[in-house]
Amino acid sequence: MPILEPNSSAAVASRVDGEELPDFTTAQYKDAYSRINAIVIEGEQEAHDNYISIGTLIPDQAEELARLARMEMKHLKGFTACAANLGVEADMDFAREFFTPLRENFQQALAEGKVVTCLLIQALLIEAFAISAYHIYIPVSDPFARKITESVVQDEYTHLNYGQEWLKAHLHECREELQEANRANLPHVRRMLDRVAADAAALGMAKEDLIEDFLIAYQESLTQIGFSSKEIARLAAAALVG
Amino acid sequence: MFGLIGHSTNLEEARNKARLLGYEEYARGDLDMWCSAPPQLVERITVTSPTGKQIEGAYIDSVFVPEMLGRFKTARRKVLNAMELAQKSGLDITALGGFTSIIFENFNLLQQQHIRNTTLDWQLFSTGNTHTAWVICRQVETIAPSIGIDLAKASVAVVGATGDIGSAVCSWLSQRTGVAELLLVARQQAPLEALQLQLGGGRILPLEEALTQADVVVWVASLPQTLSIDRESLHRPCLMVDGGYPKNLDSKVASDGIHVIKGGIVEFGSDIGWQMMAVAEMTNPQRQMFACFAEAMLLDFEDHHTNFSWGRNNISLERMEWIGAASVRHGFQPLGLEESQARLVNV
Repeated sequence: MPILEPNSSAAVASRVDGEELPDFTTAQYKDAYSRINAIVIEGEQEAHDNYISIGTLIPDQAEELARLARMEMKHLKGFTACAANLGVEADMDFAREFFTPLRENFQQALAEGKVVTCLLIQALLIEAFAISAYHIYIPVSDPFARKITESVVQDEYTHLNYGQEWLKAHLHECREELQEANRANLPHVRRMLDRVAADAAALGMAKEDLIEDFLIAYQESLTQIGFSSKEIARLAAAALVG
Repeated sequence: MFGLIGHSTNLEEARNKARLLGYEEYARGDLDMWCSAPPQLVERITVTSPTGKQIEGAYIDSVFVPEMLGRFKTARRKVLNAMELAQKSGLDITALGGFTSIIFENFNLLQQQHIRNTTLDWQLFSTGNTHTAWVICRQVETIAPSIGIDLAKASVAVVGATGDIGSAVCSWLSQRTGVAELLLVARQQAPLEALQLQLGGGRILPLEEALTQADVVVWVASLPQTLSIDRESLHRPCLMVDGGYPKNLDSKVASDGIHVIKGGIVEFGSDIGWQMMAVAEMTNPQRQMFACFAEAMLLDFEDHHTNFSWGRNNISLERMEWIGAASVRHGFQPLGLEESQARLVNV
């Protein structure tokens, strides 16, 4: 008698859902956490600095950008507390080096007065990267970090939205620069994801989830800005094919 | 605005489709790449009913392929992300096509209502099973007599009888069609007995026995690859309605006197002009589609924006009648014998 699955494939088995939390006290967890946490702290610091810098390129927005920057400093303090709570020291040297390619590209664009490139790097790529990482982290985080991360992720949407709205309003004059900046920077994001994949996995975060969530946030922004589905698929492909 | 969430039948087809639609990077991607890819709203569609009413909708490819079925988390993510995209795209009623609704039910995704910063609104989604069940019943009612089967004297086996579509089909065939006898086939005994009680009849049989006694067999369970059917033991004429997903009955049984039709497929009265379906596994993809997709269109035509088909075994005969009447009104026809056989020649 063949086994019949009512209205389904035999390959789809019923599963009971439930994320398993990692053991936050192991040396392996803390070791991975020291780098991931450092990346988050460094990311928040650079975000702060970047928003202040972008304010020098668009002075009429400086006040709003300073407000966004202040939020990032608040996040930085929250995540520093998360490390302290677990008794972990963040590996800041690793994190500074980790951000080097994006930081250099940002600084170069800043020096050339390229506000579109600066916004793409900070307000779209880094924010989408942060949003995806925080969303994936929340279900597997320790209770202390969970509370902090949940409040932070809402703020990051505000930041993503800021960049999105500015670029949307200026799309007619910045389409090409956006495409070029995407080409130059998205592969860095992919490499950054690859580099942290093992540490993220130790924290219970799968690389596959991180990439898809990042692309969902990034694609959504590009849609809002005014790109077509096909243009976006092409723009985002650099994150998929490495 | 209606939505359709679909997927390709396998990775190879998905890559070909991507190439055709101009998604070159996806066309070159391997399974791991597809596992990390986000859902895509690939097409906007306009459909006009014979009543003159026009509706607009969108086709979302969940970027799921059946090769991912073994990866529980990936499959779950694909479905939820596609649903989130549908909701964020402002679609009022979206049908879950192919494996999407199967994954939703089997993986118990009702518990996964929160995805990122979105709370999924179940009212916006339908499995489309009510329309599918109605279409399958109409196919039995119209095609069986045309090949010499008198339903008032016939035995009709329903394979997968206790499922959402299967139980609705059993109720309709026994109460509305008046078939002589229902043969109930499913995996588990307890739900079968409950169904028999509810129907007030029907014989519970193992698959092999049911096949030797049936004039009509309605398949609403997917067929395991290992299933073999002894053609010689089947009645002639015999009507086989392949209503499961994916549809793969032809190769197993089609022969003289055994008529295999694609169940749960409808044909619209005019060309829809969509690209996505042009690459789907239909004989006339500009007009034919899964009845579950058509249900989303019907609910939109009727301004009935609600999860009409949802949960398990909630399909009533009244709802089947309602969606059936809407189906006729808006120009959909259950796929007939000729259209199905045209496909057999093509294969």
